[in-house]
Amino acid sequence: MPSLLEIQRGMAATIFGDDAALVALGVVAGGISAAARIDIYRNNVLGNYRKALAATFPVVRRLVGAAFFDAAIDAFVRAHPSNRGDVNRYGGDLARFLADYAPARSLGYLPDVARLEWAIDQAGIAADAPAFDFAALAALAEDAHASLRFVLHPSAQLIESRYPILHIWRVNQPDGHGPPDVDLGEGGDSLLVARGEHGVGVERLGPGETALLRALGRDAPLATAASRANQAEPSFHLPTALRRYVASHLLVAVRVQDPFVKGSPQ
Amino acid sequence: MASSRALPAVAGIGLRAPHVAEVRRSRPPIGWLEVHSENYFVDGGPALAALEAIRADYPVSLHGVGLSLGSADPLDPEHLARLKRLAARIEPSAISEHLCWSHVDGRHLNDLLPLPLNDEALALVCDRVDAVQTALGQPLLVENVSSYLRFADDTFAEWDFVAAVAMKTGCKLLFDVSNVYVNALNHGFDPRSYLAAIPGGSVAEIHLAGFDASGPCLIDTHGARVAPPVWTLYRSAIERFGPKPTLLEWDTDIPALEVLLDEAAQAQAVLSELRDAVAA
Repeated sequence: MPSLLEIQRGMAATIFGDDAALVALGVVAGGISAAARIDIYRNNVLGNYRKALAATFPVVRRLVGAAFFDAAIDAFVRAHPSNRGDVNRYGGDLARFLADYAPARSLGYLPDVARLEWAIDQAGIAADAPAFDFAALAALAEDAHASLRFVLHPSAQLIESRYPILHIWRVNQPDGHGPPDVDLGEGGDSLLVARGEHGVGVERLGPGETALLRALGRDAPLATAASRANQAEPSFHLPTALRRYVASHLLVAVRVQDPFVKGSPQ
Repeated sequence: MASSRALPAVAGIGLRAPHVAEVRRSRPPIGWLEVHSENYFVDGGPALAALEAIRADYPVSLHGVGLSLGSADPLDPEHLARLKRLAARIEPSAISEHLCWSHVDGRHLNDLLPLPLNDEALALVCDRVDAVQTALGQPLLVENVSSYLRFADDTFAEWDFVAAVAMKTGCKLLFDVSNVYVNALNHGFDPRSYLAAIPGGSVAEIHLAGFDASGPCLIDTHGARVAPPVWTLYRSAIERFGPKPTLLEWDTDIPALEVLLDEAAQAQAVLSELRDAVAA
């Protein structure tokens, strides 16, 4: 009699296409063949992933069509198996997979659209953050200002692409009616994905904001981030950007880094 | 530790994302709500906030689909920790999981896969149920699953296996009447033998859902109204077990909320009728 582990290994292998593993399972046929019974599970398992990932990547699915998407997901599931009992958190590797997926080779923008959709999905379930504490900012000594760090909302992500993925994403919404064609020569995008009061938003950033947020996201002090922003965009106006970020709850806290204790928040 | 109140012995519905806003707005007259635990394994955001708001108005049951009580792999400590954290936040009236396996060698299939019904599987499941109950500090409700195959070397009838898990661990049973019916047809047994073997005192909840009968096997899709023979079997179950919290589940091709409420009203009619008959 096969052990529980042998049965589970054999059944998983069979579901993912290793027909030779079926025999050792000792499945009772009874009216329907053992292979047909495994087919039911294979259809359920692959169908679950297709459905779950279609919900996370609706624009990718619309861009390639349902049949192409389903085939890509079936291949993705084999190449990057789920490692969680929570299927909602499965799909983070899809962009990387699509970049190497031969049938999608001509669709250079597709992995970046997948990255954008994953960022949007994850932004919806990221941690909440308390309101910005102005009192804490006001209470800081002036000589602390240069080493001030801003904490971004946990949902915030920068997505950069050499393709116009925001335009692609907007006109290819699953319920969209507009013409889905986009001129890939429009140029690239630098996008901020973050959850605010009204849900997850996507906005296009200029070079100054991109440099600022990239630096803040990497825990650079404000002074460093601001000088990067000014290098990227000489007309960049820091106070305007900061005011907007606090209002939209993109910046949620300040802290001062002790220069001798790397990474320790005050 | 979250205090747990029992679910009321009335009809409830499975709450799915398309209905959350409407439930919050209209507060339908339904006894309780059940959600999939994993849908709330999140760090924050509007879905979790909505569940907390709903929790103020309705008893809530957390129904897991991914803990994999029957895997030869060890229990996933992160999954259990997230469940525990969610339970502390929501203070559910019940926490349930399926009698199945879904991962092997760290690879998840994210489906409810059938166990061989033998001593090795029984001992392993009982260990896992014990561990989960200890971690949660409250009884777990364990649900019988529908299946499309069984193993030649099985040494238990399914109903004896389910009953043994309850007897050995003291867990409660989430008795899915639809799954019993589906398995009875798929594997050729009399569903009344199943009912007769289940210790009624262990049953803490009942599930009802629709299946797909278009192929050679009945497939438990949770995508249709409850079939007439399942309603008949449900009535037999309530006659045998007494009134139990009864949940209408619908997970694919989710219809308008009123369709679910209408199905729940049918279950409630059976519960009320049999409760009155006992009282008379």
